[in-house]
Amino acid sequence: MSGYWGGILGILCINIIFAYSIFLPAASGQLNLGGAGFMALGAYSAAYLNTALELPMWITIPGAAIFTAAISFVIAFPILRTRGVYMVLATFAFAEVVAGVIINMEAVGGASGYEVPSFADLDVLAILAIATIGFVFYLLATRFGLSMRAVHDDENVAALFGVNVRMTQVMTFTIGGALAGIAGALYAHQYNYIEIQYFNIMISIFVLLYVLIGGTQTAYGPLFGAILFTFLPEFLRLPEMAGVANGAVLAEWRFVIFGAFLVAVMVFRPEGLITRAMVDRLRHGRAPEDITGEAS
Amino acid sequence: MAAPTNSIMSFTGVHKSFGGLKVIDEVTFDVVRGSRTALIGPNGAGKTTIFNLISGIYDIDIGKITLDGTDITHTPIQGRIGHGISRSFQNIRLMPHLSTIENVMLGQHTRARGTVDLFKPLGWGPGRRWAEMAEDALKRFGLETYPGQVVGNLPYGIRKRIEVVRAMMADPKILLLDEPAAGLNNQETTELQNLLRQVSDQGVTLLVVEHDMHFVRSLCEQVVVLNFGRKIFEGTPEQVHKDPGVLEAYLGTGNAA
Amino acid sequence: MLVTQQVISGLMLGGIYVMVAVAFTLTIGMLNFLNFTIPPIFMIAGMTGWGLTYYGLPFGLSDGGIHWAVALVVGLAAAAAASLLVERFTYRYLKAKYGDATEHAIPLVSSLGFLLIFENTVLILLGSDSQAFPVPFHDANLRFWGLIVSIPQMACLAISLGTVALLSSMLKGTRTGRGLRSIAENPEVSTLLGVNVHRIVPVMFLITGLLCGLAGIIFTLNYHEVSAYMGNEVAAKAIAAMVIGGLGNIWGAVAGGIIVGVVETLSIHYFGADTIKISVWGILLVVLLIKPQGLFGHTRIGKGKF
Repeated sequence: MSGYWGGILGILCINIIFAYSIFLPAASGQLNLGGAGFMALGAYSAAYLNTALELPMWITIPGAAIFTAAISFVIAFPILRTRGVYMVLATFAFAEVVAGVIINMEAVGGASGYEVPSFADLDVLAILAIATIGFVFYLLATRFGLSMRAVHDDENVAALFGVNVRMTQVMTFTIGGALAGIAGALYAHQYNYIEIQYFNIMISIFVLLYVLIGGTQTAYGPLFGAILFTFLPEFLRLPEMAGVANGAVLAEWRFVIFGAFLVAVMVFRPEGLITRAMVDRLRHGRAPEDITGEAS
Repeated sequence: MAAPTNSIMSFTGVHKSFGGLKVIDEVTFDVVRGSRTALIGPNGAGKTTIFNLISGIYDIDIGKITLDGTDITHTPIQGRIGHGISRSFQNIRLMPHLSTIENVMLGQHTRARGTVDLFKPLGWGPGRRWAEMAEDALKRFGLETYPGQVVGNLPYGIRKRIEVVRAMMADPKILLLDEPAAGLNNQETTELQNLLRQVSDQGVTLLVVEHDMHFVRSLCEQVVVLNFGRKIFEGTPEQVHKDPGVLEAYLGTGNAA
Repeated sequence: MLVTQQVISGLMLGGIYVMVAVAFTLTIGMLNFLNFTIPPIFMIAGMTGWGLTYYGLPFGLSDGGIHWAVALVVGLAAAAAASLLVERFTYRYLKAKYGDATEHAIPLVSSLGFLLIFENTVLILLGSDSQAFPVPFHDANLRFWGLIVSIPQMACLAISLGTVALLSSMLKGTRTGRGLRSIAENPEVSTLLGVNVHRIVPVMFLITGLLCGLAGIIFTLNYHEVSAYMGNEVAAKAIAAMVIGGLGNIWGAVAGGIIVGVVETLSIHYFGADTIKISVWGILLVVLLIKPQGLFGHTRIGKGKF
């Protein structure tokens, strides 16, 4: 495998974990536009443990997860009191505050960036990404996963059937925080250098898009979204790298094509590319729509 | 007022206003244990509001609700199902992105929410027990054709019945049904009545809001009539037609027969 | 004295935030949606203006650059056109109901798509560097009592407040304005009352497009500098201003814009440029969590919807 595609696969692994960190709250109806902030917390805490305390990766990565989860848990209570557009704004503001605090912290390099000595190669990233995928699928198959999806569809009715709505949301937000922490720690160990400017609003937007374009109804959605979003821009660069005539034009316009793709998905498949009904159809070989006309 | 000993739920002196508008005005009634009781009245009489007060969606201004001797007036919404209250909705409120069986399993939630059960997978391995129970329930009520289907796409009559099964799964003492027959055709209504009789035969008390008086007469033995947020009558379906107050309330709407 | 000078600069800066904040608050108030195309639309006005002044009309229709004032008017028109394009693909298709909590994210995602389209198109055509915008009035300052007040900046603050006042009276006084307000309160009912939603929503996007375009032009004229990213910082501050003023509240957004402008210049003055993020976003976060309806009275708009 060439270094180029190895690099892309590394990014893919981080993106998958990051996407699931936003998916878990989204699957219980909470939009988090502060992904970059949580990822930055993970990256900087891992980097600090690695650089200042000289701890090995098998401590820094779980340490980052626990630290980010703890912060998520604490802020989940005030943030989850807000809903809808207020929650989008509050999470966004939280990420900006995190960036603002880190840029002023000389202990972690401030605005000039921070070195991370230990290097995580693709094996580590792949193992953690696969473990995350397995974990999320398992979680959604439990009664807790059922509560999450019930809260997503209708909070009041879920509460009527005894689901502790607030606890479910705080839990998904916290577990999501832990996953974002892992994604951030892996990013730090993969690149061995982090700067806070990287963790900006565009990162938060992109990860939310992986989830919403992929679809929030099943655990396949964010996986598909992350794969698509990681590879699509690279594929649009392939003709250029292969020296095809006008390939450079395609490469140059790839983000515009990408934006147009987003708009088109929202027009034609507003619930995301992978929906629950679609997964059922593939699994059972029968369309639920087939029986719609039978009665009533 | 002392509740009769055979009463499962009593609603005592309840008031509820929304922004100065009195919606429920000094309503008091008892539901007899194991009975099939109907709550009827013209549009805007406050029937659904009473359901929302019982299930905890709204808070009561003044008054008291007791269930099986326990005061549940201030129990939070997610606590009421634990006391044995379960309900269906006028506009079906199944979870549209969950499958039939998952919706039904949501009904079991209070019975199965120990920490161990919470993180046990539902459909496979050691957690199968709850899934099997839900499958049995669907089979019992003739819905076994649809377990894996996302309910959003199912026909109206089927969804209406799934909602009743979901409410049943909570193993309630009292089941609140808000217009269960609305929008159903004759055959579906008959199927629903059979289902409700089965439920009632298992000892569950039914409290039904319904417009269709034929449905009420053939299913219920007790009727409470509301008008403008006040209780105007309480008795058997046969007595209702002879009551001048009820006739007056329905006068002009002409559907008391 | 120095503090007074900072407050004055903050007021001028606030004038720009005011218009963008009003554009945000209108879209959230009327349509319940956080419009992420506002930053690129702000940028389109300035960058189109610069492109036309520097390169002239496309396809060789003019010899060299055209006059800066004409170019900026074309920039304003381009901003309005971009906003209408967004309406065509974002709001018109997206009134479907899916009965779940994330359904309202749909217009949010579409507007993010347009953000990518607009920003990258400008990047490709005009490059990513900051460019100096050639305007004649560089140093027209009034000095009194030792304070410096830039005339263009003062004019811009006046234009900004005047535009908002005009808009506000239009919302109260005209048929279209009343239609818009009824949509904000209840779309279903207003359709029943004969408000043509399909005709009135484009008007709404036209207004926000013009507001952002005008703000972009004012920014260009004051700071003599444009870039493909010029909208992002301003829009972020405008969002903060909107939240402080309360979502959907036009005069709240005005007050919020001015507060953010002043807080920004003061915090740069006292604590350095790197602390702006903490002060502005910290205030925003606290307001959102403690008093989500904003500092200026009550509005129900935006709750539970995007």
